[in-house]
Amino acid sequence: MSADTGRSETLLEIRGISKHFPGVDALRNVSFDVRRNTVHCIVGENGAGKSTLIKILTGAETRSGGSITFNGAEFNPRSTREAMHSGISVLFQELNVVNQLTVEQNLSLGKETTRLGFFRKDPHLVDRVYKVLQSLDPSIGLHRRVADLSVAQKQVIEIAKAIASDSNVIIMDEPTAALSEDEVNRLFAIIKALRTKNVTVIYISHRLREIFEIGDFVTVLRDGQMIGTRQLSELTGAGVGEGESTAELIKMMLGKMVAEHYIASPVDRSTTVLEMRGVTTGKLKGVSFSLYKNEILGFYGLIGSGKTEIARAIFGLDPKEGETLIHGQPVALATPEEAIRRGIALVPEERRTEGLVAKLALRENIPLMNIDSISRLGIFSAKRERRLARSYMKKLRIVARDENHVVEKLSGGNQQKVVLAKCMNADSRILLMDEPTRGIDVGAKEEIHNLIRELARGGTSVIVFSSELPEILNLCDRIILLYGGRIREIVENGPEADSERIMHVVTGGAEG
Amino acid sequence: MKKTRFDLQKLVLLGFLLLIVVVFTILNPRFLSGFNVMYVFVQNSFVIIVGCAVALLMISGHLDLSVGSTACLAGMASAWFARAGVSVGGAFALGILTGLVVGLINAAMVVKLRITPFIATLGTMYMGRGLSYLVSQGVVIREGLPDGFSYMGNEGFGAIPITLVVLAVVVAAFLILERKSVLGKYSMAIGGNRTAAMLSGINTEGIVMTLYILVGAMAGLAGAMMASRLGVGDPNIGIGFEFDVIVAVILGGTSLAGGEGSIIGMIIGALIIGGLGNGLRLLNVFTFFQSIMKGIVLVLAVLLDQNIKARIRLAGERKRANNKATVKGGAS
Repeated sequence: MSADTGRSETLLEIRGISKHFPGVDALRNVSFDVRRNTVHCIVGENGAGKSTLIKILTGAETRSGGSITFNGAEFNPRSTREAMHSGISVLFQELNVVNQLTVEQNLSLGKETTRLGFFRKDPHLVDRVYKVLQSLDPSIGLHRRVADLSVAQKQVIEIAKAIASDSNVIIMDEPTAALSEDEVNRLFAIIKALRTKNVTVIYISHRLREIFEIGDFVTVLRDGQMIGTRQLSELTGAGVGEGESTAELIKMMLGKMVAEHYIASPVDRSTTVLEMRGVTTGKLKGVSFSLYKNEILGFYGLIGSGKTEIARAIFGLDPKEGETLIHGQPVALATPEEAIRRGIALVPEERRTEGLVAKLALRENIPLMNIDSISRLGIFSAKRERRLARSYMKKLRIVARDENHVVEKLSGGNQQKVVLAKCMNADSRILLMDEPTRGIDVGAKEEIHNLIRELARGGTSVIVFSSELPEILNLCDRIILLYGGRIREIVENGPEADSERIMHVVTGGAEG
Repeated sequence: MKKTRFDLQKLVLLGFLLLIVVVFTILNPRFLSGFNVMYVFVQNSFVIIVGCAVALLMISGHLDLSVGSTACLAGMASAWFARAGVSVGGAFALGILTGLVVGLINAAMVVKLRITPFIATLGTMYMGRGLSYLVSQGVVIREGLPDGFSYMGNEGFGAIPITLVVLAVVVAAFLILERKSVLGKYSMAIGGNRTAAMLSGINTEGIVMTLYILVGAMAGLAGAMMASRLGVGDPNIGIGFEFDVIVAVILGGTSLAGGEGSIIGMIIGALIIGGLGNGLRLLNVFTFFQSIMKGIVLVLAVLLDQNIKARIRLAGERKRANNKATVKGGAS
């Protein structure tokens, strides 16, 4: 950590920022300073408010209160474009490059000068960007097609564009999520070099190790509140081991976490419902575990750890190697159709794009996974459909005008209940729930958790895939910790479950 | 919300149809005569028959450009077999089968080989047309057809043409498919959200294949009927027919992206285009103008539909915003 950071002046002053959404306070009174030419990290769990903060800084959202001073002047961007013009760029996870064009064309994209409507080559512009690019990564040729480059190289192109357009601040949102270890190291070298180019980096990541490696400062958010800002050199100061400083940071992120709502399910350990042995896919490496009757099993890990991939493998969406057994019988589980036939149902991660037919009514969505519940010989009964919908609306307390309510007009929590109803109607004995309460407000969250517990008591085995630790700790009987597509550890939940150690394991910390 | 939009849209369409009827009847009272009305229905029965299947296909988010060529090929096949000595009924059945086979080829290309529907069916459109010319060596099959060949397209049960009976049966069958069958329900789900349908365990491939085969079979039926009506096998028939069908379906409120639309809407759409053409003809308007009018009506109708949808969405949002303001944090 450079010693001169103490002297550098404040570039960005964030004072009392808050953001209210209907029913939720995404940010409450957040204040911190970002100093010039530093790498400022922001960490926090999912839902801590990181994305909202980025959106406010880049003009994608307007704040409900507070003030931002940038370069000494009041900063109120009304659009991403405006923020970019004032010098704040973002490196989004979805990269903003055009694969079909060459590196050169990408560098000048949107900045072409034209004469009489025809392109005019502007050697100065390309030159300037190319010089920056060369200084960052000399291996990227000007005439290569961007499609042939790696994700990391595409990132470098975006960074070069940002620097060349005189950005003072580059915000990086989980930039390493899709990178190999080698590429991460190269990106870090570039980030370190940015300090000398008069660029300040705001770095958002889940991976604590990375933060210790490149960060100068770290701001911790939790539940929309600012917990604190620390200088990383202080955290890792003399006489403090890496383990302890990580633990300190984790404590700040999680707060006092107790699984206050955890209620043990009546798990029947003598009956193994589902077993996977050495399952390997493109992303998973030798995953083996068992699921018992009446159990709620949790998979916990960060983005890219393989949670969704395990759900996809079980549900027959990705080709896999290894053995899968249901009630001791080997099965292929090669298609969703087969999985559903064998009593497995999936509540997908994205309910609007994967779980529901948004334009159709509640009544029409609920029977989709098991059309036989309302039809005979290919002809369905509108009466049975209506009755089915009404019974689930009552059972799951779905708030809607009536069964004809179009699902896209429902709230997130009620939409999720419709997806759940769809799965329950398929008579599934194994329920896979990928991020069961993402983007749902607190009250509905609690309701869905109770529904899951009820299902487990009723004889269903549930697997919950979540990136929210409190959810996992409140719900699951056993917790499987994932890192890099592998199972690192299987933890029994209970009052003595150690959330700090769990965080330590899933952020890639050493075992033991 | 959905209900109001559906009804409103159909109401606008119906209003439009009514307007055409009123205006043309005032200009020429013969427009509303029993004979002319029946004539319009018979004239447009082929579009509606094929449109029934195409509407379901487009609701599922797919497209078929080959129906004109397929109908022509099926008519040629019917004439060819009838001339070769096959009974008239058998020849028509073979014509329908020909259409069904083309549908199967489209289905295989789109679903199994994953060729974009636009390209795949454009391919069969050209192939079908070429094959029609090949079968007839470029000339109309006229000589040697049995007398019964033109019976289906021109005779009737008393005053009711057989064509209209076939039309009624097909429409009834497809309305049941659309509203009562699992196939219709799945078509809507696949068009609305293919991923969600697949994740619900729906055999999306099988459903889409079935729809293409149905379209092919209906194109075959329409082709056999057209050939019978003309009493010949003509390799030049049905050029542009695919667009008449698609226009009727789109006028009827089906979006190219799928997930919405209806057969009733398609029928109204076909009658608007058909009535407009007929009325202009009765007024002795030069034929070229009819094509221009068709284009204008299509664009205007879709524009109107978009405006209605946008306005309803706006109204809905405003209403929800008000609700939120009054019952703050009410429903979860």
